[in-house]
Amino acid sequence: MTSPIDKMGERLTRNLARFSSRRGFLSKLGVAMLAAPAFPLLPIARSARAAEPKAPGPKTDFERNSQTTDDTKCNYWKYCGSDGVLCSCCGGGHHTCPAGSEPSPISWIGTCVNPEDGRSFVIAYRDCCGKPMCGAGKSCWCDNSDRELPTYRSSLNNDIIWCFGNASASYHCSTAALVGEAK
Amino acid sequence: MLRLALAGLPALAMLPAVLTAQPADVHTPRGNYLLSCGGCHGLEGVSNSRLVPDLKDQVGVFLNLPEGRRYLVRLPNVAFSSMPDAALTELMNYVVFDLGGTSAPKGSKPYTLREVAELRRIPLTEVSLVQMRQQMVQVLVDQFHATTNLNRYGDDAYGSPPQP
Repeated sequence: MTSPIDKMGERLTRNLARFSSRRGFLSKLGVAMLAAPAFPLLPIARSARAAEPKAPGPKTDFERNSQTTDDTKCNYWKYCGSDGVLCSCCGGGHHTCPAGSEPSPISWIGTCVNPEDGRSFVIAYRDCCGKPMCGAGKSCWCDNSDRELPTYRSSLNNDIIWCFGNASASYHCSTAALVGEAK
Repeated sequence: MLRLALAGLPALAMLPAVLTAQPADVHTPRGNYLLSCGGCHGLEGVSNSRLVPDLKDQVGVFLNLPEGRRYLVRLPNVAFSSMPDAALTELMNYVVFDLGGTSAPKGSKPYTLREVAELRRIPLTEVSLVQMRQQMVQVLVDQFHATTNLNRYGDDAYGSPPQP
């Protein structure tokens, strides 16, 4: 006398043996093994690759000392080309203007390397305009120049007050807004 | 069929290696746009319309005129860009046909590498760019029903604040 569970188990095993061919399984396994390297985009492979430094060339002085935690310091990674007083010391953020000032719609755009993953990101260096210059402490005055060019390449120059297109051209402070990955 | 599929697999397996072997400093047309044009023209092709011409849904109208098509590449900041010809060609096609939306006349051909390489060697340096643009805009608005928004650039040399 066999129990119903035993019967069910026997039926399952017999069906498996009857309807699946061993050669069919082997050929499918073979295809899967061959095809596997063609799909390296599993999350593990991607995160492993992300850890590799992607920025070309040797590190700049700025990049050797940059950090990702304190945006009120000149060595915060997005400030690699910032020249001016940081809005994050003036009641704004590294990508927002302090109340009463407005961002310049025209700016210069460069790239900075995130030290955590070594990837380059596009940064828009917008000034905040329409208020007198922010009177923050000396540690908030930065003069970084990664990938900034001299005035004769004015569209990539950080000495320019980018407030010239605003209603009030008075300079208040500088931001560094992340615009996307550099690719 | 299976044998056919198996024969193709080694080639397929090499594909990711080929794709990732590109140097890291090669940018997409969009990346080049952001780095070389987006600061002034705006991330999506609009910033201060009176100070910098809008590109979004607009720049393609210049392709209605043969000299307009040439003008876009002969503009000094385009012609003098540090990009190689191939990257500049892709950038121009991104600006005209992507940012420009449907503003280019139907059936317009993309810029070719040869065309861009030749045009950037004859940059517009001895003319008034604003006047030259205004003359073309006049024709485009009068004869090609182009948007009068084209007239906003050059209204005021120093640029008034963007209209709300």
